[in-house]
Amino acid sequence: MRRKRRKTTEASFSDPLSDYSPPEFDDDLEEALCDNDMTVMALTPMVTVNVETTVNKTMQILAEHGVACALVIDDEQKLHGVFTERDVLDKVAEQYHMVKDLPVRVVMTHEPMCVYAMDMPAKALNMMATGNFRHVPVLDFDDKLIGVLGPRRVTGFLSKYTQ
Amino acid sequence: MGLREDILSHPVSELDLREVLILSPEDTVQSAVRLMRLKRLGCVMVVDEKGIPLGKFTEHRLLVLLVEDSQALLRPLKDVMVTEWASVKLDDPIAKVLDAMQNHGMRFVIVVDDDGKAIHLTGQRGLMEYIADHFPRQVKVHMIDDAKLYMDQREGA
Repeated sequence: MRRKRRKTTEASFSDPLSDYSPPEFDDDLEEALCDNDMTVMALTPMVTVNVETTVNKTMQILAEHGVACALVIDDEQKLHGVFTERDVLDKVAEQYHMVKDLPVRVVMTHEPMCVYAMDMPAKALNMMATGNFRHVPVLDFDDKLIGVLGPRRVTGFLSKYTQ
Repeated sequence: MGLREDILSHPVSELDLREVLILSPEDTVQSAVRLMRLKRLGCVMVVDEKGIPLGKFTEHRLLVLLVEDSQALLRPLKDVMVTEWASVKLDDPIAKVLDAMQNHGMRFVIVVDDDGKAIHLTGQRGLMEYIADHFPRQVKVHMIDDAKLYMDQREGA
Protein backbone atom coordinates (compact mmCIF):
# COMPACT_ATOMS: atom_id res chain seq x y z
CA MET A 1 0.00 0.00 0.00
CA ARG A 2 1.77 3.12 -1.24
CA ARG A 3 1.00 6.37 0.47
CA LYS A 4 0.77 9.43 -1.70
CA ARG A 5 3.73 11.74 -1.26
CA ARG A 6 3.12 15.37 -0.51
CA LYS A 7 3.45 17.49 -3.60
CA THR A 8 5.19 20.87 -3.57
CA THR A 9 2.83 23.20 -5.33
CA GLU A 10 3.89 26.45 -6.88
CA ALA A 11 1.94 28.35 -4.25
CA SER A 12 3.66 26.52 -1.34
CA PHE A 13 7.21 26.94 -2.70
CA SER A 14 9.34 29.80 -1.47
CA ASP A 15 12.99 30.51 -2.11
CA PRO A 16 14.79 29.50 1.13
CA LEU A 17 17.48 32.13 0.48
CA SER A 18 14.90 34.88 0.71
CA ASP A 19 13.92 33.96 4.27
CA TYR A 20 16.40 34.70 7.08
CA SER A 21 14.04 34.26 10.00
CA PRO A 22 14.87 31.46 12.47
CA PRO A 23 13.05 28.21 11.75
CA GLU A 24 9.82 27.55 13.59
CA PHE A 25 8.91 24.08 14.77
CA ASP A 26 5.47 22.66 15.38
CA ASP A 27 6.55 20.68 18.46
CA ASP A 28 9.53 19.69 20.60
CA LEU A 29 10.16 16.49 18.63
CA GLU A 30 10.61 18.38 15.37
CA GLU A 31 12.84 20.85 17.19
CA ALA A 32 14.92 18.01 18.68
CA LEU A 33 15.43 16.48 15.26
CA CYS A 34 16.20 19.71 13.40
CA ASP A 35 17.81 22.02 15.95
CA ASN A 36 20.42 19.69 17.45
CA ASP A 37 23.43 17.82 16.23
CA MET A 38 23.89 14.06 16.14
CA THR A 39 25.36 13.93 19.64
CA VAL A 40 21.87 14.16 21.20
CA MET A 41 21.25 10.62 19.96
CA ALA A 42 22.84 7.48 21.41
CA LEU A 43 25.71 6.59 19.06
CA THR A 44 27.66 4.13 21.17
CA PRO A 45 28.51 1.39 21.96
CA MET A 46 29.53 0.26 18.49
CA VAL A 47 30.98 -3.00 17.29
CA THR A 48 34.12 -2.69 15.16
CA VAL A 49 36.12 -5.38 13.39
CA ASN A 50 39.31 -5.20 11.39
CA VAL A 51 39.07 -5.56 7.61
CA GLU A 52 41.02 -8.83 7.85
CA THR A 53 38.68 -10.47 10.39
CA THR A 54 37.04 -13.54 8.88
CA VAL A 55 33.37 -13.52 7.91
CA ASN A 56 32.66 -16.31 10.39
CA LYS A 57 34.34 -14.49 13.28
CA THR A 58 32.49 -11.27 12.42
CA MET A 59 29.18 -13.13 12.44
CA GLN A 60 30.05 -14.63 15.83
CA ILE A 61 30.78 -11.16 17.19
CA LEU A 62 27.45 -9.83 15.87
CA ALA A 63 25.57 -12.77 17.41
CA GLU A 64 27.36 -12.43 20.76
CA HIS A 65 26.62 -8.72 20.99
CA GLY A 66 23.09 -9.09 19.65
CA VAL A 67 23.63 -6.34 17.09
CA ALA A 68 22.94 -6.15 13.38
CA CYS A 69 25.93 -4.15 12.16
CA ALA A 70 29.71 -4.24 12.52
CA LEU A 71 31.80 -1.28 11.43
CA VAL A 72 34.80 -2.49 9.45
CA ILE A 73 37.97 -0.50 10.11
CA ASP A 74 41.67 -0.76 9.27
CA ASP A 75 44.68 -0.66 11.60
CA GLU A 76 44.48 3.13 11.65
CA GLN A 77 40.83 3.05 12.75
CA LYS A 78 39.67 4.35 9.36
CA LEU A 79 36.21 3.18 8.36
CA HIS A 80 36.17 1.05 5.21
CA GLY A 81 32.71 -0.47 5.29
CA VAL A 82 29.91 -2.03 7.27
CA PHE A 83 28.93 -5.66 7.59
CA THR A 84 25.26 -6.15 8.40
CA GLU A 85 22.60 -8.82 8.63
CA ARG A 86 21.60 -7.85 5.09
CA ASP A 87 25.11 -8.76 3.89
CA VAL A 88 24.68 -12.15 5.58
CA LEU A 89 21.38 -12.67 3.73
CA ASP A 90 22.62 -11.44 0.34
CA LYS A 91 26.25 -12.51 0.18
CA VAL A 92 26.89 -15.19 2.80
CA ALA A 93 23.92 -17.44 3.60
CA GLU A 94 23.70 -19.43 0.37
CA GLN A 95 27.47 -19.81 0.03
CA TYR A 96 28.42 -19.95 3.68
CA HIS A 97 31.03 -22.71 3.29
CA MET A 98 32.78 -20.80 0.50
CA VAL A 99 32.96 -17.39 2.20
CA LYS A 100 33.10 -18.08 5.95
CA ASP A 101 36.90 -18.07 6.10
CA LEU A 102 37.38 -15.07 3.81
CA PRO A 103 38.20 -11.62 5.23
CA VAL A 104 35.08 -9.59 5.94
CA ARG A 105 36.25 -6.88 3.50
CA VAL A 106 35.29 -9.24 0.65
CA VAL A 107 31.59 -9.28 1.53
CA MET A 108 31.10 -6.05 3.47
CA THR A 109 29.24 -3.06 2.07
CA HIS A 110 32.01 -0.73 0.93
CA GLU A 111 32.14 3.00 1.62
CA PRO A 112 28.86 3.41 3.48
CA MET A 113 27.07 6.74 3.54
CA CYS A 114 27.98 8.56 6.76
CA VAL A 115 26.85 11.62 8.65
CA TYR A 116 28.98 14.01 10.65
CA ALA A 117 28.54 14.69 14.34
CA MET A 118 27.51 18.26 13.55
CA ASP A 119 24.72 17.15 11.19
CA MET A 120 21.18 17.30 12.49
CA PRO A 121 19.39 14.02 13.33
CA ALA A 122 16.72 14.75 10.72
CA LYS A 123 19.40 14.42 8.04
CA ALA A 124 20.43 11.00 9.28
CA LEU A 125 16.79 9.85 9.40
CA ASN A 126 16.21 11.19 5.91
CA MET A 127 19.29 9.33 4.70
CA MET A 128 18.02 6.11 6.25
CA ALA A 129 14.67 6.56 4.52
CA THR A 130 15.82 7.66 1.09
CA GLY A 131 18.85 5.39 0.88
CA ASN A 132 17.14 2.50 2.64
CA PHE A 133 20.01 2.18 5.12
CA ARG A 134 19.48 0.81 8.59
CA HIS A 135 22.82 1.85 10.02
CA VAL A 136 24.57 5.14 9.46
CA PRO A 137 28.12 5.59 10.80
CA VAL A 138 28.81 8.93 12.46
CA LEU A 139 32.15 10.70 11.95
CA ASP A 140 33.74 13.66 13.67
CA PHE A 141 35.27 16.67 11.93
CA ASP A 142 38.49 14.70 11.25
CA ASP A 143 36.60 11.80 9.68
CA LYS A 144 37.21 9.73 12.80
CA LEU A 145 34.51 7.20 13.61
CA ILE A 146 32.62 8.15 16.77
CA GLY A 147 29.52 5.96 16.61
CA VAL A 148 26.70 4.50 14.62
CA LEU A 149 23.01 5.28 14.41
CA GLY A 150 20.71 2.30 14.03
CA PRO A 151 16.97 1.59 14.19
CA ARG A 152 16.86 0.83 17.92
CA ARG A 153 18.55 4.11 18.76
CA VAL A 154 16.18 6.03 16.54
CA THR A 155 13.08 4.43 18.09
CA GLY A 156 14.55 5.01 21.55
CA PHE A 157 14.99 8.70 20.77
CA LEU A 158 11.50 9.08 19.26
CA SER A 159 9.88 7.21 22.16
CA LYS A 160 11.14 9.80 24.64
CA TYR A 161 8.93 12.36 22.89
CA THR A 162 5.84 10.24 22.26
CA GLN A 163 5.31 8.60 25.67
CA MET B 1 0.09 19.55 13.84
CA GLY B 2 3.68 18.60 14.50
CA LEU B 3 5.42 15.29 14.08
CA ARG B 4 4.68 14.12 17.62
CA GLU B 5 0.95 14.74 17.28
CA ASP B 6 0.98 13.05 13.90
CA ILE B 7 2.67 9.95 15.31
CA LEU B 8 0.18 9.83 18.18
CA SER B 9 -2.93 10.37 16.06
CA HIS B 10 -2.31 9.13 12.50
CA PRO B 11 -3.27 5.52 11.81
CA VAL B 12 -0.88 2.77 10.74
CA SER B 13 -2.53 2.85 7.28
CA GLU B 14 -0.69 6.18 6.70
CA LEU B 15 2.64 4.34 6.67
CA ASP B 16 4.19 2.88 3.54
CA LEU B 17 3.19 -0.71 4.26
CA ARG B 18 5.10 -3.63 2.78
CA GLU B 19 3.86 -6.89 1.39
CA VAL B 20 4.00 -9.59 4.04
CA LEU B 21 6.08 -12.57 2.93
CA ILE B 22 4.41 -15.81 3.85
CA LEU B 23 5.73 -19.37 4.09
CA SER B 24 4.46 -22.54 5.71
CA PRO B 25 6.07 -24.24 8.72
CA GLU B 26 7.34 -27.06 6.49
CA ASP B 27 9.30 -24.72 4.20
CA THR B 28 13.06 -24.61 4.73
CA VAL B 29 15.34 -21.82 5.85
CA GLN B 30 16.77 -21.82 2.33
CA SER B 31 13.37 -21.03 0.81
CA ALA B 32 13.00 -18.18 3.32
CA VAL B 33 16.44 -16.83 2.37
CA ARG B 34 15.55 -16.90 -1.33
CA LEU B 35 12.20 -15.21 -0.80
CA MET B 36 13.68 -12.49 1.42
CA ARG B 37 16.43 -11.81 -1.15
CA LEU B 38 13.96 -11.72 -4.00
CA LYS B 39 11.63 -9.28 -2.23
CA ARG B 40 14.40 -7.27 -0.50
CA LEU B 41 12.79 -7.75 2.90
CA GLY B 42 14.32 -8.98 6.14
CA CYS B 43 11.37 -10.90 7.57
CA VAL B 44 9.15 -13.81 6.56
CA MET B 45 5.99 -14.77 8.44
CA VAL B 46 5.28 -18.43 9.01
CA VAL B 47 1.51 -18.97 8.90
CA ASP B 48 -0.96 -21.81 9.13
CA GLU B 49 -3.34 -22.76 6.33
CA LYS B 50 -5.77 -20.00 7.40
CA GLY B 51 -3.10 -17.30 7.22
CA ILE B 52 -2.82 -16.97 11.00
CA PRO B 53 0.80 -16.23 12.05
CA LEU B 54 2.64 -19.02 13.87
CA GLY B 55 6.03 -17.36 13.96
CA LYS B 56 8.52 -15.24 12.06
CA PHE B 57 11.92 -15.75 10.53
CA THR B 58 14.23 -12.76 10.26
CA GLU B 59 17.70 -11.84 9.04
CA HIS B 60 18.86 -11.74 12.65
CA ARG B 61 17.61 -15.28 13.27
CA LEU B 62 19.46 -16.38 10.11
CA LEU B 63 22.72 -14.89 11.38
CA VAL B 64 22.45 -16.63 14.76
CA LEU B 65 21.46 -19.94 13.14
CA LEU B 66 24.41 -19.94 10.74
CA VAL B 67 26.81 -19.27 13.60
CA GLU B 68 25.37 -22.23 15.52
CA ASP B 69 24.86 -24.64 12.62
CA SER B 70 26.44 -24.36 9.18
CA GLN B 71 23.76 -26.72 7.77
CA ALA B 72 20.94 -24.49 9.02
CA LEU B 73 19.61 -23.77 5.53
CA LEU B 74 18.22 -27.29 5.29
CA ARG B 75 16.13 -27.06 8.47
CA PRO B 76 12.35 -26.52 8.36
CA LEU B 77 11.10 -23.14 9.53
CA LYS B 78 8.90 -24.72 12.22
CA ASP B 79 12.09 -25.75 14.09
CA VAL B 80 13.84 -22.40 13.94
CA MET B 81 11.20 -19.68 13.69
CA VAL B 82 10.78 -17.09 16.42
CA THR B 83 7.39 -17.45 18.07
CA GLU B 84 7.19 -13.91 19.45
CA TRP B 85 6.16 -11.02 17.26
CA ALA B 86 4.41 -7.69 17.55
CA SER B 87 1.24 -6.91 15.63
CA VAL B 88 -0.89 -3.83 15.02
CA LYS B 89 -4.10 -3.12 13.12
CA LEU B 90 -4.53 -0.64 10.28
CA ASP B 91 -6.45 1.81 12.45
CA ASP B 92 -4.04 1.72 15.40
CA PRO B 93 -1.97 4.90 15.88
CA ILE B 94 1.54 4.94 14.45
CA ALA B 95 2.78 5.35 18.02
CA LYS B 96 1.83 1.70 18.59
CA VAL B 97 4.34 0.63 15.94
CA LEU B 98 6.97 2.72 17.68
CA ASP B 99 6.04 1.19 21.06
CA ALA B 100 6.22 -2.34 19.67
CA MET B 101 9.66 -1.72 18.18
CA GLN B 102 10.99 -0.01 21.28
CA ASN B 103 9.51 -2.24 24.00
CA HIS B 104 10.00 -5.58 22.24
CA GLY B 105 13.26 -4.71 20.47
CA MET B 106 11.76 -5.70 17.12
CA ARG B 107 12.46 -4.19 13.73
CA PHE B 108 9.38 -5.63 12.06
CA VAL B 109 5.77 -5.27 13.10
CA ILE B 110 3.01 -7.32 11.49
CA VAL B 111 -0.22 -5.61 10.44
CA VAL B 112 -3.16 -7.94 10.98
CA ASP B 113 -6.85 -7.71 10.08
CA ASP B 114 -9.76 -8.23 12.49
CA ASP B 115 -9.42 -12.01 12.11
CA GLY B 116 -5.76 -11.94 13.11
CA LYS B 117 -4.60 -12.66 9.55
CA ALA B 118 -1.27 -11.09 8.52
CA ILE B 119 -1.95 -8.55 5.75
CA HIS B 120 1.06 -6.20 5.73
CA LEU B 121 4.49 -5.67 7.21
CA THR B 122 5.81 -2.45 8.66
CA GLY B 123 8.54 -1.34 11.02
CA GLN B 124 11.74 0.63 10.90
CA ARG B 125 11.68 1.39 7.18
CA GLY B 126 8.07 2.58 7.09
CA LEU B 127 8.61 4.70 10.18
CA MET B 128 11.77 6.32 8.76
CA GLU B 129 9.96 7.16 5.53
CA TYR B 130 7.06 8.65 7.46
CA ILE B 131 9.41 10.85 9.49
CA ALA B 132 11.50 11.79 6.45
CA ASP B 133 8.33 13.06 4.76
CA HIS B 134 8.13 15.69 7.52
CA PHE B 135 11.61 17.00 6.73
CA PRO B 136 11.88 17.19 2.96
CA ARG B 137 14.59 19.86 3.14
CA GLN B 138 16.94 17.85 5.33
CA VAL B 139 18.22 15.63 2.55
CA LYS B 140 21.90 14.96 2.99
CA VAL B 141 23.78 15.68 -0.20
CA HIS B 142 27.03 13.77 -0.59
CA MET B 143 29.85 14.70 -2.94
CA ILE B 144 31.13 11.69 -4.78
CA ASP B 145 34.92 11.42 -4.63
CA ASP B 146 36.63 13.12 -7.57
CA ALA B 147 33.29 14.48 -8.78
CA LYS B 148 33.63 17.61 -10.87
CA LEU B 149 31.58 20.66 -10.08
CA TYR B 150 31.55 21.67 -13.74
CA MET B 151 31.76 19.90 -17.06
CA ASP B 152 34.76 20.06 -19.40
CA GLN B 153 32.57 20.86 -22.37
CA ARG B 154 29.16 22.30 -22.89
CA GLU B 155 26.47 19.70 -22.90
CA GLY B 156 24.47 19.28 -26.10
CA ALA B 157 24.97 20.92 -29.44
